[in-house]
This record gives sequence, structure tokens and C-alpha cells, in this order.
Amino acid sequence: MLNVSNVTKRYADKVAVDSVSFGVQKGRIFGLLGPNGAGKTSTIRMIAFITTPDEGEIRLDDRPVGSWSQQTMGYLPEERGLYRKMKVGDQLQYLARLKGLSAAEATAAVRHWLDRFDASDWYDKKVEELSKGMQQKVQFIATVAHEPTLLIFDEPFSGLDPINADLLRDVILELKEAGRTILFASHRMEQVEQLCDDICLISDGRSLVQGSLREVKSAYGRNVLRMEYDGTPNFLDRMQGSGKISVISRTEHRAELRLLDGTLSRSILQQAMDELDAIYRFELVEPSLNEIFISVVSTTGQGSKQPQGSRTGSAA
Amino acid sequence: MNTLAVIAQREYVQRVTSKGFIIGTLVGPIVMIAIIVVPVLFLVAFQDQSSKTIAVIDESGALYEELEFPIDFDLVASEAPVDTLRSHVLGGKINGYLILPETLLRGEGGAAFYSGGGGGFILSTQVQQAVNRAVRQRRVLMTGADKTVLDILHHDVGVDMIKISDEGDQADSAAALAGIGYGMGFVIYVCMFIYGAFVMRGVIEEKTNRIAELMASSARPFDLMLGKVLGIGAMGLTQFLTWCILGMTIMAFGGTVAALFVDPNDYGLGQVDNQQALLDAAGITIPQLPFSAFVLFVLFFVGGYLLYASLFAAVGSAVDQESDAQQFVLPIAAPIIIPMLLISHVIENPDSSISLWLSMVPFFSPILMTVRIAATSVPFWQTVLSLLLLGGAFLGSIWISSRIYRVGILMYGKKPSFADIARWIRQG
Repeated sequence: MLNVSNVTKRYADKVAVDSVSFGVQKGRIFGLLGPNGAGKTSTIRMIAFITTPDEGEIRLDDRPVGSWSQQTMGYLPEERGLYRKMKVGDQLQYLARLKGLSAAEATAAVRHWLDRFDASDWYDKKVEELSKGMQQKVQFIATVAHEPTLLIFDEPFSGLDPINADLLRDVILELKEAGRTILFASHRMEQVEQLCDDICLISDGRSLVQGSLREVKSAYGRNVLRMEYDGTPNFLDRMQGSGKISVISRTEHRAELRLLDGTLSRSILQQAMDELDAIYRFELVEPSLNEIFISVVSTTGQGSKQPQGSRTGSAA
Repeated sequence: MNTLAVIAQREYVQRVTSKGFIIGTLVGPIVMIAIIVVPVLFLVAFQDQSSKTIAVIDESGALYEELEFPIDFDLVASEAPVDTLRSHVLGGKINGYLILPETLLRGEGGAAFYSGGGGGFILSTQVQQAVNRAVRQRRVLMTGADKTVLDILHHDVGVDMIKISDEGDQADSAAALAGIGYGMGFVIYVCMFIYGAFVMRGVIEEKTNRIAELMASSARPFDLMLGKVLGIGAMGLTQFLTWCILGMTIMAFGGTVAALFVDPNDYGLGQVDNQQALLDAAGITIPQLPFSAFVLFVLFFVGGYLLYASLFAAVGSAVDQESDAQQFVLPIAAPIIIPMLLISHVIENPDSSISLWLSMVPFFSPILMTVRIAATSVPFWQTVLSLLLLGGAFLGSIWISSRIYRVGILMYGKKPSFADIARWIRQG
């Protein structure tokens, strides 16, 4: 549905997005993940046709994005903002009309969504009279009221109170059920991990890893081991010393380790049974996205696991 | 309805329905009138009512009774020594003393007026006129001429100024029209700043409210900017036309008002119904501008607004808060202020070639062409050329401004330099 191909964006003194490509399929939730300053917002702004790429192309339903595509998108920017002096109803109606709805359609849509959020009585209130949490709800409605087919959320959970965060999660899943396509950008990987179908990890303007969440995780294998036990696991020190494992975290009765280069979990279990008094837990788990990200950044530094297009020599 | 119209409509409706607008529109003229009327009332209330005492040493013995001074002068014939009078002046007993030597009657020498100073220009003019008149009168009588000669001497001939134009001859009230032209130029000057600042503040508000990015994801920056300029322009025009209607109502009843202050008996007309006849007799004409001049005034007003408002929008987009805008406002304010400095030249010489070419320069024409239209009959081609140049300048300025705007509205934090802005324009 959405295709970003070899997109590059340069600002005065730096390359914000460096030849990034990815595709978002209809009806799925796509996560564009990476630390602050990785180029997520720059990428999203080009998709939303707020800025244009210096190189490469962005297509929505096989047409280059433009003013037409703005009307089929809903965008929740990281910087939230509304007209403070305007009434909630007027404001939402105005924003929906800018997205191509007629006055009557816009009014109906705004009423519907205010009802959905138990906020019908806000219609005639000015935005500045609302609490911050209420303003956040108004902001969601502005993003979804015109029934966009593609929804773009930049750091959707930042600044939300827990109640609104849950509400937003529900709404996002509901929108997915209804067949909408959703694109996230976030640096809080653990927060959006469960929501995403597909991901693209980016850092320093480059795409490092991408694919469905399943694929990415299985590519990194079940190579994280969690143990809970009583006793003294001297073997862990020996194995780490010989480069068979690396310890992610370790406390008195608990350890989390990564298996390196074909180390079999069986051999560890064997030694554990020999040396420990009791074993309560021995589990091979998938690495979290955060761990994958850190390991990709640290091991590749240059380039990525799945190289995307050509690279023109710019500093990483 | 297209995006541009939706944006302009919001700007217009939000503003016109605000309390500030309604109050401003109704109170504005009252404040304007107060600015004009209060100083006049102030002058009247504190006018120097005390009469001035002037001692006259009439050495000719024939001039004193001929002296005619306004009623707030007390003349005293005196034969006291000059030193005494001098000390009276210094002591504040009299305002001054006038010495009329005998030689005046032979057309030789001159009179002298001694005062403590500070009487001002009016006082010296009054003394001079009174002495001249008295000497002239006395000398004519001394030749044995009869009274008709005196009448001839004191009769002032009025010269009627008639302006010839295609619409027929009419009284040329050049001075009054120049005044109206100045007034209209001044209105445009003030409005450029007021409405331009509205646009600038509107853009800054969208940045500080952080809604600019959401807007940019819904509409083209060009539409956002032009919509705002048009919406606020429509608000300005609403306000302006309201004031015009109020003003024209006052003009229409202006004759009636002026007639209230004119007593028909002074002109030997008795009780008359016809105000026009009364005003004609009193020599008062309320100057009327042709309707076409009014239309052109509105066109130049709108053109000037569009030109400057788009530049103000660009400035607003480049800064985060109003206090940062000063350095960028200056280059825009200068071309608005310059014509105000040139306006008196244009009023005095509306047909000079300098006035002609100044009124063609797009940044100056809204003010200077309006002044010329009021003050003289401007050839049609000049008006059209001036308007076309203004329109062309507007297209250029909105093109440049929209390039600044699209980058500026997403920029936070660092205040850009002129060099940064030049780069935004180049890169688009």
C-alpha cells in the first residue's frame, strides 16, 4: 500500500534520512523504530507530504504522495497542538473539512467520535478550558475523524497518561480490525513491540533491519536464556571466559544470558544440573527488540544485516 | 469547498465573531474622533482669555484713533516717558508699547513696538497689520480723497478656483482634497501595519500552539498562508467598509452639521430651507470625491494589504515569538514608512514626474497613488499601470513568502539569520 524507496533527505549540515526503503502492507501495523534523532520524524514528514525527499520516491497505492494523499492520511505529530481559543467542535469540524469532508459529514463524524470518547459535552468548550488528558483525546479525534486509510502516529504514547495510553491502544487495534493501515514511529520499543506486525529499525538515518516482527525475531533465534536457581553457578564465569556465552544480567538467584556461536542450551543445562542446588526456571526466549537493536548497532556499526539499496559514502 | 476557502473562512469567521473585533470596529472611530477633537477642546478650554494692554505713544497725533485692534487688546494713549513705560513692561503692568513717529504720515521711517517678548508670532502680525492699515488710511484721507477711495483700498477680491474635468466644471477645493488624500494615505499606512501584524501574530500563534505541523499535514503551505492572508484581509475589509459607511454617513450629514454653526442672518439670507444656498453664501463647500476615486482607494488598499501581509506572514513563520520578529519587521516596515515621508511632496506637486514615478513603485503606490488620485486627475493609464505593477509585486512576494513559510513553520528553537532565510528561499 505504502512504498518508500531509496528516500534521502538532507538538511543544511547533515543527512537526516539516508536511502531508506520499506513497504507497509494494507491492514497491518508497521513500526518505524529507532532512537531519538534516527530520522523517524523526517521520514514520516515526507510520507505525510509535509516535506519532500531530496532523492527517492514515496508512493501510496502506486501514486506518488501529494496533496491528494494528505486527505487519505491521518497524522498525529509528536508535537501535539490545537488552536487554544477555538471550540472543540468547531476545531474538529474544521480539521476534518481540510481533509476533504463536507461540512455536514464533518459535523457527523465529530459527533460520532466525541460520543465514542464519552466527550459529547465538550463540543462547545474551548480547547484551553480542557485538561491535558482531554486535549489528548481531542487530538486523537482530529487524527481519525476523517476516516483515513493510512494512520501515522509519531511517538503516540509519549506524554499520555496510562488511561489515555490504554484507550489509544484499543483504538489502534479497533482501527486495524476495521482494515486501516497504521504506521508508528517510536523510540520506546518495548512499548509498541506487542502492537506491531512489521518493523523497520533505523539508526542514523539508515534502515538496519526490517521485516515482520516474527521474521526479525526468528532471524535472531531463541538465543536468550533465562534461569532462576539456588546455588553458585561458577560455570557461567567459565563459559563467559571462553566466549561461549555473554551475560546480559545476573543477580543472586537469576541470570539472563545470550548464547554465542552455536553454544547449545543442553550443555548449559548439563552443567547447571551438576553444579546448582536447585533450578526453578530454565527457559530459552526470543530477544526483545531492544536487544536486537542494540546487538545490530554494536555488531554492524557500518551497514546492516539486510542492506538497503546502494550507499553513498557518508559517515555513520 | 476547496482547502483555501475553508482556511480563509475559518480565519474570517473566528475573527469577525470575536469580542475584540466587534468592540474594535465600533470603538475605533470614536477613538479616532477623540484624537482629533480632544486637543481642539483642550485649546478652547485653556485659551488665553486675558486682554493685552498696549500703550501707544502717538507722536503724529493722528494715528491713534485709526488703530483697529481685535477686541482682546486694550489700547492706552500715553505720553509717559519711555523709561516709565519700559519699567511698566518689565513690571508686567502692560504688555508692550508702540511708538508711532510723526514721519509715518509723510511715508518715511517706521514704527517700533517694544514688548517683554513672548507675545508670539500672532501678536507681531496683529500689531503690524493694525499700524499699516492706520497709516494707509490716514495718509489717503490727508490727500483729500473721498471715502470711496478708502473702500476700494480695503476691498478684498475673492478668486474662485474652478477645476475643469470631463464631468463638467466644479469648484476646485485642492486644499481640502489634498487633506482628504493625506487622510486616505494615512489610513492605508496605519492599516498595513495593523492588519499585517494580525497576519504575523496569527502565524506565530500557530507555531506556539504547535498546530503548524498538523496543518501542514492537511494542506499545502501556500494555501495555509494565502488562506490566512485572505481571511484576515476580508476581516480588515469588513472593518474598513464599516468605517467608510460610518464616515460617508457623517459626510452626508456633514452639511447639516456645518449649517448648524452658520447663522443665516449673517449673510442676509433670512430664514432659508436650502442648506446648500446657505453654505454657498458662507463660502463653505464640503468637497466630494468622485465614486471612482473611492473604488480605486479600495483597490489600492487591498493590493497594498496583500503585498505586505504575505511578507508579514513570512516573518511570522520564521520566528517563534513576537519579540524575535523585530529585526525582520524592519525591512518590511521601511517601505511603508518611506512614502509617509514623501507624502507632502506628492500632495504639493501631484503632477510632477517624481510624484508620478514614485506612485508607480509597488511598495509605495498604495499610499502615494491614493494621494495623487485625491489631489489631481490621474490619467487612466497611470492608475492601471500602477495597479498592474502592484499585482505583479504581490505575486512575487507571495511566491518568496510561501517558500520561507513552508520551511519556517516547522522550525523551532534557533532564530534564523537573514542568510538562513535566503537559503530557505533558494531551496524551497
